[in-house]
Order: sequence, then structure tokens, then C-alpha cells
Amino acid sequence: MRHGCTCGRGRAWVLAILLACVLALLPSVDALALTTNKATARPNEDGGSGVIGGIATRLTWEGTVEEGEEVSEVTLTLPEGGSFDGTSTKVTALEGLSRAKVEGEATPAGNRLTVSFSQPVSAGMLLRLEVEGMTFPSAGGDVVVGGTYLDQSGERPLADSKPIRTIANTPLQMMVATLDQSPAVEAWNANPFLGMFFKPQLLVTALFSLVPGWLLCLLIVVIAYPFAIVLGLLFAFMKISRYRPVRLVATLYVNVLRGTPLFLQIYIMFFGLPMMNVNINNNVLGVLVIAINASAYLAEIFRAGIQSIPLGQYEAASSIGMSYFQTMFSIILPQTVRRVIPTVTSDFITSYKDTSLLSSVGVMELMMFSKNLTSVSGNMTPYVAAALFYLVVTLPLIKAVTIIENRMANAERGGGPQHHKGKAAAAQEGGESAGEKPSERVMRAEALGTDPAPAPSSMAPSLASEV
Amino acid sequence: MSGHAITRRDLIGAVATSVSGLMLAACGSSPDTAPGDTDGAPYALVSEGTLTCVSDMAFPPMDYMDGDTCTGYEVELMEAIAAKMGLECVWLPPTKFDTIIPLIKQGGKADVGASSFTITDERKEEVDFTNAYLDSNQGVATLKSASVKDEGDLDAEGKRIAVQSGTTGEMWAQENLTKATIVSLDDPVQAMAGMSTGLYDAVAADLPVVSYLCTQSYTDCEVSLEIPTGEQYGLVVSKDNPALTEALNEAYEAVVADGTEAKLQEKWFGAEL
Repeated sequence: MRHGCTCGRGRAWVLAILLACVLALLPSVDALALTTNKATARPNEDGGSGVIGGIATRLTWEGTVEEGEEVSEVTLTLPEGGSFDGTSTKVTALEGLSRAKVEGEATPAGNRLTVSFSQPVSAGMLLRLEVEGMTFPSAGGDVVVGGTYLDQSGERPLADSKPIRTIANTPLQMMVATLDQSPAVEAWNANPFLGMFFKPQLLVTALFSLVPGWLLCLLIVVIAYPFAIVLGLLFAFMKISRYRPVRLVATLYVNVLRGTPLFLQIYIMFFGLPMMNVNINNNVLGVLVIAINASAYLAEIFRAGIQSIPLGQYEAASSIGMSYFQTMFSIILPQTVRRVIPTVTSDFITSYKDTSLLSSVGVMELMMFSKNLTSVSGNMTPYVAAALFYLVVTLPLIKAVTIIENRMANAERGGGPQHHKGKAAAAQEGGESAGEKPSERVMRAEALGTDPAPAPSSMAPSLASEV
Repeated sequence: MSGHAITRRDLIGAVATSVSGLMLAACGSSPDTAPGDTDGAPYALVSEGTLTCVSDMAFPPMDYMDGDTCTGYEVELMEAIAAKMGLECVWLPPTKFDTIIPLIKQGGKADVGASSFTITDERKEEVDFTNAYLDSNQGVATLKSASVKDEGDLDAEGKRIAVQSGTTGEMWAQENLTKATIVSLDDPVQAMAGMSTGLYDAVAADLPVVSYLCTQSYTDCEVSLEIPTGEQYGLVVSKDNPALTEALNEAYEAVVADGTEAKLQEKWFGAEL
């Protein structure tokens, strides 16, 4: 037993020594003079970040020449179906961060590309080959770039690169390819203006890839707006409060927010808050900025709306014994809501468009996506696609505003459901005539509010305080 | 096929220089007295007697605004080049980086785009480049306090990499950090400001600029990756104006020859590159 045991141990020792010898020998036999660092491909998916097979892209291959070695030729190979035909290759050799004077001549042949150097690339150098216009196999999948190289001792295999993930052609890409081949599209694009702003291929891809950005825009403004309305109402009431300090606070809030660009407010929120160690998700922060900004405008709209209700109604309400809050919530506000709907809708449209400013701080919204597409393609069409996404929301809303305004004007002219409106009331609201634009109306209402003379603005609060 | 890319470019440069020299000589004016030669110049300029240049002026120390004056290595280099051509160098107001090439291509606004453009095949389809005037590489900056600094860790879901829209830094990030979200901004200063407040995990841009910004303005950040790409900057000229490209190459040679370039590099980079 004991004997057998030592024998086994002896064998193990021999084995270990043998193994060590083999291991020690291995590198000297198979040590690579040229180590593959990596191979990457430029994304060629229109409006995406994928690498698609069968469509031209650029392959960047990097390798390092090891100690005491020199490399005079490199051959890269792609799996069956990949092609280097018609490519142009840029050869860069670097020592550390500075360029070395190395020139190379590339000879593409199907899925092989041979680059021979004018003088051997010496030890320690980083070799970069950028092959423009190559294609990966159109089936997609993980692609490994292999090959061979020539050093002093002859041809040797190159270590395989880490796989590059490629995808098969998508229906969208096929549609683009069809457009690419159409002579009509080509003629259309030949016109510099049409080609720059309305390139059909890009319009198609942009419409697809902008959808997430569009949804984020909608989400931001739809979530922000209810908050803006609540905040706006709060500040509207504060502005007509009988307490001077409260009025001051509200005035400061509204004036600062209305008097500075939204862009600046975005910067302060996005760069300022994290510095105070307040870290909020970017999209949530976007909702916050839009809500706060819109609330200032809404506060003014609501205040003007409340103050445009004739003073007589406060008197009438108090004469039947209603309290201030009863008057506000059952008499004044319901009428105010009707009056401000068009202007609030216009403001909603503005806020929706304002979300575009969030692109400058990295919120992945509509403008961000179109900016990326434009910078990749050097073409303005993605912006046109973005315009379509804005219009698809704003046009129906603008139409709605017009319809509501017409109905209101109609009602106030004596048409509509209120047939028995008295002459005096009609005269009082006469200013809001049919032809008046919503913006003009706000200005009028605001002028009314800031002017101390007209009864509704200065007397409503004081009357309310008597109640 | 064009592993000759470099060979050919250098060759064309050399040939262009000598040919234009010969042409000028043939016209009866000596090639080394470029100033004052403008009346006979075969190239078109947006406005007579001035070289109208355009840059984003957001790329210190290459080109940036110091108060309301344009300054930087590139700005002074262009002034030296213009002087050699007997022209006055005029800068358009800062223009967004990704719109400069379309602007030069469309023509009529500026003669030369000088905004640290790396010479790439893609860009060459749109515009002409002069010979390279500076070598560059890519750099990735992170906060000094950041836990994630190397390339493998930055290439992960949920990481946000800020880049300047339309730059080689953007292309590098899209190609090498495929899992991360790439956020394209208008200029690298915006990117650095965002990163130093924690909006982004890293910034990828040209190395001279990242290292300048890390040492000068954003001292809480550092260059955590130096990526050797061996890219080279060239001036951007419209394809309709090849004579100007040649004239610029020639004037640049003169600026190198008389030592002005070395002086400017000493001034702006602290060393001759």
C-alpha cells in the first residue's frame, strides 16, 4: 500500500515535470509574434446600432507586434459569405501614441485581404487596419476574423478575434435597399434640396427609429402637465391673495420662470442638482423642469381667467350667502376653466415642443434621436421626420383649439346654447370676439389683470376678503 | 486597392505642392513669395482678400472662444497659413461641429473648415481634405472618483458615454462600447460638464482635448484611457475648389518650413509634437 502510494506520487511528479516541459516549450514554438487585440465593425444599421451582414461597413482590426519580432505581411480572413472585394484599407502603425511611418498595400480577394508592408512592422508597434467597404456574411451571427501573417520565420496563423455580433438583414433594411435601387428615388435625390431634406430612404428609417424618442416626449409632457396645472392654480391663487408676502412670492416665482429661457432652467436643474448631491433620473428631471416651467405660464393664464369673471358674480354669490371658497369653486372656477381651455391647450402645445430642449442634456427624446441620425448621415431628413412627429400631435390640438374658440365666440355672440344672455353680460364679454386669436386674448386678459383700474382685478380679492 | 490611402495621399500632396509650385513659377511669380500673389490665384474665395474659416470653437486647446475672441492652436495656425497666402484670416461665428461639413459642401459661406477634422474616408466622400497638419488619438475621461474606468467595464448596459455629435470619438464609442448608451452632445465641454455632475459615466473625444479639459477646467476628472488610433487632422475644403486645397497645402508647408508651426506647438501643447 505504502509502496504503491509512493510509486503513484513518483508518476505524478514525472507527469508534472513533463507537462511543465511541454508548457515551457509551447510558447517558444507557438508564441504569436503578432497578437490580435481586437476586431470591431462600424454599426451600419440605419437609425440603429447593429452591424448588419451583406451591407458595406468598416472593419477595424488591431494587433500588437511582440518583442523581438517583425511582421511584413498580414492576411485577414472572414467566414464564408463575407467579402473584402472593392474595399480600401487604411494602415496605421503606432508606437505608443505616435504614428510610425509604415505604409501598406492591400490586396482584397473574396473573403481574404492581404496587406503587405513597405518595410517590416517592428516590435512593440500597434498595427491598425481599417477596411472600408467590406461586408459580413448576410446570414448574420457572430463573426470571427482570423488570418495569417508573415514574420522572419515564415507564415503563421493569426489568433482569432473575439466574435463580432452581426445581424441578418431586417425588413426595414430591405425596404431601404429597394428604395436605393429605384431610379425614381435616385432622380429625386439628385435634386440637392430634396436629397438633403426629403431623402426617402432616410425618411423611412428615421420614422421607425424616432418612435422611442417620440414616445418619451409624449410621456414627459403628459406626466408633467397635470403637475403644471396644479402648481399653476396654486400660484394663480397666491397671486390674487390678499396677503402681500404671498403675492410677492408668487410674483417672483412666475416672473423669474417666465423671464428666463427654459434652456437655462434645464441647465440649472440638470447640472446644478447633481452638484448638490440630488441625483434624480434624467427623465424624471425632464418632467420636473417642464412642469415647473409650464406652471408659471399657467399661473398667469389662470389668474387672468379668474379675474376676467365679472365682479357682479362675486356680489351675487355673496348676496345669497356663499363663502369665498364656495364662490370660487362653484361659480368662478367652472367659468374660468371654459375660458382658459384654448390658451391652456396652446400652452400644452408649447410645452410639448419645449421637450426638444432636453436633448441638450442627454434625455433620449425625439430631437436627440434625429440629431444622432443626422450626424451619422450628414443629411437633414431625420429632422423632417422629427417635424412630422411633432405635427402629428400639435396639428389636431391646434384644430381643437380653433373649434372650441369658435363655439365660445358663437355662444357669446348670442348663438349656441345660451339664448337668453342679457345685453349687459354680452357687452362685458364682448371683447372676446370671434376673430380674436388666443394669444391676443391672453395679452388682453393679462393687461386687464395688471391694470389697477378695472373693477374685477382689484376688487375681487378685496370683496372676497369681506365675505 | 488603396492600402495606398496613405501612400497616395502623401504622394498627391507632394505632387500637388511641386505642381502648384511649377504652375506659379510658370506664371512668372516665384513660388516662395506667396503673399501678394492673390490676384493671380486660381482658387475661389467667398470674399476677396480674406480666407473665411469656420470652426465650432468648442475644442480647447485647438480652437475655442476666449471671451469673444477666437483662439487656440488651430486658430493661430490658420492665421499663419492665411498670412502665407497673402490673405486675412476671418472666422465665422462658432458653428455646430456636425453642420460644418454640410456648410463647406454647400459653399458660399466659408472657404475652409478648421475644426480638428480627422481625415476619414466617409468625410472624403463629402469634401476634400488638405494634407494632415496634426496627429491625434482618442481619449476617454472619467471622474477621478469613478469606480468604472476601463474599456471592458464601460462597455456595459446602463453606462452612459457622452460624445460630441459627428466626431470620431462618437464613432469610436459606437463601435467599441456597443452595450453602453452613447449620448451625442453639441460640444465636448457640455459632455465634460455633464460628466463632472454625474450625468454620464465617461466622455470619449480626441485625446488633446480631453487631456486639456481634464487638466485645465475639470480637475475632478482624469484621462483614464488613451486609445491609439493614429488619426490625423486635415482642413476641410469644398470639392469644387481643389485649387484652394493645393494652395493651403503649399502655405502649410511654408509654415512648417519657417518654424512657425513648431513655435505654435510649443506654445499650445508645451512641446513640439
